[in-house]
Amino acid sequence: MSRIGSRPPLSSRDWFGKVSAAFILGFTLALGCAGLFRELMDVGEGYFSTKGQFAMWLMSPVWALSLSFCFLFRSGLRAWLWLFAANLLVWVPVLLMGGLRP
Amino acid sequence: MKLPTDVVKMYKEVHGWVGIISGLCLFIAFYAGALTMFELPLQRWASPPPTLAPAPSLERTPELIAKVLAAHPQAAKGYDINLVIDAAHPARMTWMVRGEADEHGGGQRYYASLAPDGALQVESRGPSEVAQLIDILHQQVGLPFDHEISMSIMGAIALLYTIALVSGLVVLLPSLVSDLFALRIGRNVKRMWLDVHNVLGLFSLPFHIIMALTAVVFAFHDQFYGAQGMAFDGGAERARPSLSAPAEGPPPATLTPAQIVARVREQAPGFTPETLVYGQGRGGLPALRVQGSDARYGLRAPTYGMAGIDPQTGAITGTDYMPGMQDGWSATITSFFALHFGNFGGATIRWAYFLLGLAGAFLFYTGNLLWVESRRKKERKAGAVEQTRATRILGALTVGVPMGSIAGISVTLAAAKLLGSHASYAMHSAIYYALFLIATGWALARGAARSGVELAILGAVAMLCIPAASLIAGTGWYDAPALMLVDLTAVLLAVLLFLSARAAARRAAVGPRDSIWSTIKPVANDS
Repeated sequence: MSRIGSRPPLSSRDWFGKVSAAFILGFTLALGCAGLFRELMDVGEGYFSTKGQFAMWLMSPVWALSLSFCFLFRSGLRAWLWLFAANLLVWVPVLLMGGLRP
Repeated sequence: MKLPTDVVKMYKEVHGWVGIISGLCLFIAFYAGALTMFELPLQRWASPPPTLAPAPSLERTPELIAKVLAAHPQAAKGYDINLVIDAAHPARMTWMVRGEADEHGGGQRYYASLAPDGALQVESRGPSEVAQLIDILHQQVGLPFDHEISMSIMGAIALLYTIALVSGLVVLLPSLVSDLFALRIGRNVKRMWLDVHNVLGLFSLPFHIIMALTAVVFAFHDQFYGAQGMAFDGGAERARPSLSAPAEGPPPATLTPAQIVARVREQAPGFTPETLVYGQGRGGLPALRVQGSDARYGLRAPTYGMAGIDPQTGAITGTDYMPGMQDGWSATITSFFALHFGNFGGATIRWAYFLLGLAGAFLFYTGNLLWVESRRKKERKAGAVEQTRATRILGALTVGVPMGSIAGISVTLAAAKLLGSHASYAMHSAIYYALFLIATGWALARGAARSGVELAILGAVAMLCIPAASLIAGTGWYDAPALMLVDLTAVLLAVLLFLSARAAARRAAVGPRDSIWSTIKPVANDS
């Protein structure tokens, strides 16, 4: 908050870049979080198991909060880059644990 | 709490836009949703007195089942035994017959009873479907489209709603302490509506967070499961056990319904069993589920929890959705549903959710009013007296859509008692949308100021149709005296609507004349 004076003010004008980043990368982030949960909690193939259902429920807050807070990024480009980094953070462990089985 | 001013300003703009896009849909969702808190009582209120003979006792039910299966073998695929008989569940035994075309929910339901001489009676006319229409209006935010399309739009609205909650909170935070307990009712209309909007929004915030996040899941669970299936399960199709495999040899003997109920009560003392659902499991073997409620716990379905039962021993075998017998994960999942459905804690919580739902609808209505008011201020500064077309249209919709949905639901509900057994889902739907479109069209044609008064009177009169229909239909339609609360609530809401009509009339006559709510012709500035 001490840097308030040194940056250009935020604006709602470049909303499209930010919202599209949150809509797409927020969704993949939510999917990655669900994947991470499935690996850590050993959900396995159980699609409708209660843990599997919980993994599905996890996606709603992650996606919705990405969309809500994406406006805080300085620009659309930064939104795409930061959310991409967040995706890496979640998806790399999923890949390492062999969770991705397309 | 201090927040950078640019963040607050930006979120204020975001809040305005997402609010104005989603507000009217959310009004319908919350108004209809508040009513669905009493979906079962409404269904009982609206259902004609049963034409079947009184249901046979639970002890005589095996005789009824045997006679139905002999006369209607297709019922063996699956049938329900109702343990509680009321206007919404008029028969001891019911079953669905589905053709090839209606695999998803469609089909014809039959109801069976035994005449005093023991002869089988079968009826295809069931309880009223008007409560189901209100539920669908709630789920589809009032949209008449195909369910899947409507649900995607509802999901988008729910996402906008989440953004509106977060942005609204950010906007309110800096002035939270000074504004929270202030309700400045006075000459400054915008200030007053802002205070109302803030108080409603903040104090019901937990309720709204639950509704927003669960609504996103209800809209997109297929997509969420689908994406997870593609990413983590090799694109595996959902494995659903085949239900129609032929049985080998005669089915094993099962306990009678009365024995099953006794066994369930023994194993789950606080649980009230309401329905036994018989079906066929793997290999055509009989499968059994018990549905019921337990006010001490949240329920997975809107009005019931359930357990899998071994039909030969009556032992509870499936406890994933059984109130009070769930493990941590199941109970957690169920809590998400229960917090949306308000089905824990009995009638008290249902009334609380009813009020929270109405308050939510009012929150979105005040949001629209604020949008109109803040546009008005900007235009006055710019020197224009005539309001822009966008403001006038939005003002008209802010009157027409809420009043249209209120009047439409009231009249279609009242119609259930007048149409009696002729009523169908399609008729109820047509009545609702006819009133909704007439009210919205009227508001657009007449403007917000005039229609605000007229449609509030229409809403009140429509509300009074509910007790009027009850008077015409007579007391035979009440299967319990408590159902008169439906009529009482309608009268109360009618009074509120009449009061709002009076306030709107006063404002149209003596309020500031540059407002869209005024009927006084604006005087041109440049003359």
